[in-house]
Amino acid sequence: MMVDTEKPVQSKSRRTFIDNLLGVSVIAWLGTLFYPLIKYMVPPKVANISVNQVEAGLVAEFPNNSAKIVRFGRKPVIVIRKKNGEFTALTATCTHLDCTVQYLPDAGIIWCACHNGKYDINGNNISGPPPRPLTRMVAEVQNDKVIVMKGEVA
Amino acid sequence: MKIIDWIDERISLEAARKFAKKKEVPVFYGTVWYYLGGVALFLFIIQIFTGIMLTFYYQPGINTAYESVKFIVSKVSFGWLVREMHSWSANLFILFIFLHMFTVFFAKAYRKPREMTWLSGMLLLFVALGFGFSGYLLPWNELSYFATRVGTEIAGALPFVGDFILKFLRAGDEVSGATLTRFYGFHVAVLPLVAILILGVHLMLVQFQGMSVPPELEQKPEKRRGSIPFFPNFVLRDVTVWLVVFNIIALLALFFPWELGNKADPLAPAPAGIRPEWYFMFMFQTLKQIPAHFLFMEGELFGVLIFMIGGAIWMLVPFLDKHAGDPNFSDKKWNRVGIFAVAFIIVMTVWGYLV
Amino acid sequence: MKHVLTITVLVFGTLLSGDVLRKDACYACHLAVDEDRDEDARIMTHIDEDIHLQVGLSCADCHGGDPTAFDDPDAAMWDNDTFIGAVPREDQPDVCGKCHTDPNFMRQYTASVRTDEIQQYWTSQHGKLLKEGNSKVAVCTSCHGVHGIFPKDDPRSPVYPTHVPETCNSCHGNADYMAEFNIPTDQFEKYQTSVHGKALLEENDIGAPACNDCHGNHGALPPDVVTIADICGTCHVNNRKLFISSHLNYDMLEMGAKQCIECHGNHGIQHPTDDLLKVGTQKFVCQSCHEQHGDKAAILATQMDSVIDSLSVRYERAQKKIEHAEQLGMEVSDLYADLDDSRRALIQTRTSIHSFNFATVQKTAEPGFKATANALEGAQGALAEYNQRRVNLFIMIMAASFLVIMLIFKIKNMQKKS
Repeated sequence: MMVDTEKPVQSKSRRTFIDNLLGVSVIAWLGTLFYPLIKYMVPPKVANISVNQVEAGLVAEFPNNSAKIVRFGRKPVIVIRKKNGEFTALTATCTHLDCTVQYLPDAGIIWCACHNGKYDINGNNISGPPPRPLTRMVAEVQNDKVIVMKGEVA
Repeated sequence: MKIIDWIDERISLEAARKFAKKKEVPVFYGTVWYYLGGVALFLFIIQIFTGIMLTFYYQPGINTAYESVKFIVSKVSFGWLVREMHSWSANLFILFIFLHMFTVFFAKAYRKPREMTWLSGMLLLFVALGFGFSGYLLPWNELSYFATRVGTEIAGALPFVGDFILKFLRAGDEVSGATLTRFYGFHVAVLPLVAILILGVHLMLVQFQGMSVPPELEQKPEKRRGSIPFFPNFVLRDVTVWLVVFNIIALLALFFPWELGNKADPLAPAPAGIRPEWYFMFMFQTLKQIPAHFLFMEGELFGVLIFMIGGAIWMLVPFLDKHAGDPNFSDKKWNRVGIFAVAFIIVMTVWGYLV
Repeated sequence: MKHVLTITVLVFGTLLSGDVLRKDACYACHLAVDEDRDEDARIMTHIDEDIHLQVGLSCADCHGGDPTAFDDPDAAMWDNDTFIGAVPREDQPDVCGKCHTDPNFMRQYTASVRTDEIQQYWTSQHGKLLKEGNSKVAVCTSCHGVHGIFPKDDPRSPVYPTHVPETCNSCHGNADYMAEFNIPTDQFEKYQTSVHGKALLEENDIGAPACNDCHGNHGALPPDVVTIADICGTCHVNNRKLFISSHLNYDMLEMGAKQCIECHGNHGIQHPTDDLLKVGTQKFVCQSCHEQHGDKAAILATQMDSVIDSLSVRYERAQKKIEHAEQLGMEVSDLYADLDDSRRALIQTRTSIHSFNFATVQKTAEPGFKATANALEGAQGALAEYNQRRVNLFIMIMAASFLVIMLIFKIKNMQKKS
């Protein structure tokens, strides 16, 4: 603490008082710095950063010729396991009026219930009002888990 | 005080005390300018602390950089504050360096014997700009991605070495994940090391040589000039100003948060309103105004060369301004150069933001 | 005849070029005549792009005559037995039908071509009247154009989806022309203002229905309004599904009422709003058959409306809160996902009223209420966090400010001392 070595008598008590208050306020201020610092270092509840990929579930949860809707960021994505066991993923928002599409296993097509729009299994609009195909996503199997991510489909 | 005595008994603190007390700070109408360098120093300290804190969660890489910054500001408690303070203090850091530099320039404080202080200060400015340029890319958002693309392209316009510099900065032909890792390395390792070394020299020089006063005041005998001891009197004032700046940053962080924007997509077309950080704006705007071909070279190259020559002259001003220390010599040439530089920077920056 | 035609087509098809056309007497002469006409009077402007010419048919294939008789109009036309000239309207189905009813012939151009157009045409109101001798009705060229016929998927074709309404309107909107048929002529006017018309004509959404999507094209007839749900249901699948299994449908079938049309109208169909369920207002749609108040229908409408209303009010509240939090710089993109879910549920709930069953509506709305609650809770959390931030920052700033004041005291004190 900054304390002068000379001690003029008349204002000694006042100076001590100021020095004490100064000390208290330094400690208080440091407190307001250390509290956030410590809180910052406490690992947050969600331990992992949400990278640009999403786990759609275990491979075993997908029988052949079935599908599941998962959330990818804001948007729903439809993950389909084809008859031959391969995975494919497409944005699940119908290109007509933003309804969520569904997979019809019997017909092997993707269907939008709102206005009867139909897409083939690759997301191409084949009948009904949809003006554009669904966007393709990458679906990969990693350690028995189905991972969906954005990107070019190989 | 017992701890201090305890230490004093073991390593004599006398030398340190002497060193601290050595300097006197002149008190006159320009004393207020002496705070600017100190504020810049304080902002640099904030940068070090908040920067270290950010590295605890930040993950460079095209799939993680943006996401981890988002994670910091949304999921980590007080993460928003750390990031906002880092961004705001970065901008104020450069602002105060500029202010510090111009006051030093107009007070002709660069004159003998402080040429080295000026040179080291200029180097610190370049390092600070390097910090800004490299740090801007790290959140990997749309704006920063395209600003980096444009910025590195300008460096690539240089003759002979341009191509090498471009590839060196980008770590390849395009701004990519490799560029991000490289910029990260510069931002958190190379530049801090360089900055601290140069800053050490800069501060040592200031402490050894004391504060500069304008030439007309220097003529007066030292006794007639008012002054206060640097330590503790001026340091306390310094700290007071720093705390006020700290409060301002905290308020700015809350009320004017820096937006993270959208994640960079290298394949997407450049969004409208691509602009560099404000402190590069005057250069960016100037380069935009130069015609595509000027004399025998490309306009961009011409502009870059002009800036390099201008920067070099500015940097070497202690050696070019021969009469700086002579109050009787009324050569206002360098004052005019300084006023032109300030006016040019302000006009170009404002123009850049208006267009 | 057909063999000759086939050979002509094959020969021309392989040799088609400017040279070949120049060797066609009809083409050379008539193009010159046409070019002498005023620009608006020309009839052969797009002749070179005509699909028939493109695949190698010549003028003579529709109009008869001898295309090799250069410089001799008599030999080419009047003295030639095959010469037809301008095809009379009543003969058009037969002339076009020469080729368009023959799968074996048409197949060479398009493998999956249909050849039932003429057959369908005779079942249409147009075709029936034509048979009765009324030649004012639409024939092939009325819709497809002439001397410059484009394939139906060419955007310049009058039967390209966005042009269909105007094409039909060129006759159906003409009150004088339609006078003897005694049907309304305001369909296009109404259609233009309808949700379908706006989508098709203003937004160029070719997924939206044009006239033919409800009335048919070659076999154009007013659809059977008593079972119109089947037609509307080609696009509005869920609405139809819910409606046809509702009690209302049974009652309406018994009465011979016009299903969807009773509430939504036909050509001028508007985007339905929640107002249609608001008992006691002008827009309350059930009142055209039911009483305003007290009736079972009014009770059900009020019930269904209350569910939709409370969901949409909550949705908007959540949306506002989220936007507010976003403006304050909070990170809320996760909440928008909940909000999207809520919006979808709201759309589904609005559709579900076609079940005319309160329990179904409630059940459909349930996930919406859940998603909205999540979104609202998240937004409130974000706002609370923002406030917490302000409090934290306030404490920090107060501490720093207090320190500043103490430092100033200290500095003053030191000054006094010296």
